[in-house]
Amino acid sequence: MVDIISQGINLPLPLLMLLLGGLTSLMVGLLSERIGVAKLREIWMIIVSTATLTSIYYLNQSVQKAGVLVISIWGQLPPLGGCFEIDTLSIFMSGSIAVLGFLVALYSISYMEKESRLTEFYTLMTFMMAGMTGVVMAGDMFTLFVFWELMGLSSYVLVAFLKSKWGPIEAGFKYLVMSATAGAFLILSMAIIYGMTGTLNFAAIADNLRGAAVSPWIIALFSTLVVGFGVKSAIVPLHTWLPDAHPEAPSPISALLSGIVIETGLYALARVLFLTFDPGMFKLPIAFLAVLTMTLANVMALLQTDIKRLLAYSSIAQVGYMLIGLAAGTTYGFMALFLHIFNHSMMKGMAFLASGSIVHETGTRDISSLRGIGKMMPVTSLSLFIALLGLGGVPGTNGFISKYHLFSAAFGSGLGWLGIMGVLNSALSMAYYIRIMQVLLGSPKEGFKANEAPILMLTVTMAMAAIIVILGIWPAPLINFATSASQSLVEGLSTYIGAVLG
Amino acid sequence: MVPLEPFLVSVGLMFVIGLYSLMVKRDMVRILIGVEILFNSANLCFIALSTQVPGFVDPYAHSIVMMAIVLDGTVIAVGLAMVMNVYKHYKTIDIRKLRRLKW
Repeated sequence: MVDIISQGINLPLPLLMLLLGGLTSLMVGLLSERIGVAKLREIWMIIVSTATLTSIYYLNQSVQKAGVLVISIWGQLPPLGGCFEIDTLSIFMSGSIAVLGFLVALYSISYMEKESRLTEFYTLMTFMMAGMTGVVMAGDMFTLFVFWELMGLSSYVLVAFLKSKWGPIEAGFKYLVMSATAGAFLILSMAIIYGMTGTLNFAAIADNLRGAAVSPWIIALFSTLVVGFGVKSAIVPLHTWLPDAHPEAPSPISALLSGIVIETGLYALARVLFLTFDPGMFKLPIAFLAVLTMTLANVMALLQTDIKRLLAYSSIAQVGYMLIGLAAGTTYGFMALFLHIFNHSMMKGMAFLASGSIVHETGTRDISSLRGIGKMMPVTSLSLFIALLGLGGVPGTNGFISKYHLFSAAFGSGLGWLGIMGVLNSALSMAYYIRIMQVLLGSPKEGFKANEAPILMLTVTMAMAAIIVILGIWPAPLINFATSASQSLVEGLSTYIGAVLG
Repeated sequence: MVPLEPFLVSVGLMFVIGLYSLMVKRDMVRILIGVEILFNSANLCFIALSTQVPGFVDPYAHSIVMMAIVLDGTVIAVGLAMVMNVYKHYKTIDIRKLRRLKW
């Protein structure tokens, strides 16, 4: 049932590809400056992300055969050494990361053309993807923390990448201070886990702590975990960095940050909370946070005048919907959560990429001065239109499918009020999406001119729009994959524990 | 076996001091020092708990704290680089001058 790989130094293949690709892309960048071959870095980035996608496909085959794949890093067997523990859920998440990363890499070839320091840009982007892949594959708390910090460090620098303006630096500093504080809370939570169980391995934690009686230490552990993971995944009292950091980053990075980085935080929260506590214990607090997150983010999004800032608030609202799945705590709820993670990565990634094309061509982010842009950039506006319909949950897009499953999971697990709040918020959120649509379709002012985006950017956004519509009409394969992912988390818990503790 | 209570009390105190300097200080370098105090209190908690195994001191916690110190250092280094950039733009490192992003 279980494969254990423990000879020598081992890393999962996708992670190895990304780490080596990040290290070599520095040299490739230097080389391209020396020999004067244009686009060598970009081509290298495409090669690395294609190799990652392929290796995830092969890893998936060996995981499907083995059930759970345990890879120990230094040859020291778990639970004593650090390890990677890969199940279907890890494959699902790393697949979402690699797909979005590939599309964003294609897009940024044309978007970042005029910027300097591209070697650093692509290196940091590869390391950010490596960090996320490591987080979703980690088998103990400390391996998770190391890759968490790798992801965090690269994203701090990428947010502050356009350092000649004041906004990115300010947003980057705010992001860094809040995330570093959350990191301190995570180390504290690890110390508490270590004090209670003597180990940090996920399987051993689940074996020792699940179903323990509620004591002050358990409460302290719960709150430090929620604060530690909640800052990265922007749960409402801890969200204040997000509406600054996501709009100020370059648009491809905004797409990656909003599309998948905050969801990686949510994955870590779901995995660790489910392994450490019974769902009955964290149900009510998480449901409360979900309502707070959705409502506040939707109300704040109504007030925005900056298109990327509005999309950033909409990301916070979507995190609130995803928390509903975590609060339900059943297989069905987790299925809806992971389904929405993939769908949201497509929808929000595309919304940021399309609005990035608009910002790239017009140079402004103010919604009211973009009136009539649909006449000048019809293809980009069409794809942005589809993304906004998906985010609002209109039937026929994949956003409807996953929201339907999320809300019915809430009803199914006795949290009817949470489902009703979700439906109400979803209706409220259409208000600001319709505002953008109205601006896109309105008649332009005199003298307002913009050209259609370059062909590569159009190709990427149209491909993502096609994915959104296809998954909205024919969602069965993705639902099956998400179901087996959530089954490996909930029902496969004993396999997960048995893989390490035997 | 070393008694645990004095260490836990100092962990709590250091945590409160770190949060205080995050919230109250205006100097950006001092804010980063507050983050560093938070990290150190969490590391101290680890080390204190590792002495509680009967008979020996657990090397596992020490190896983890070593790695955690390195990670803290890199985060603070990136933060200081950002402070330098802020100084280039504003000619000050007073956090109250950075109020252009809000809501």
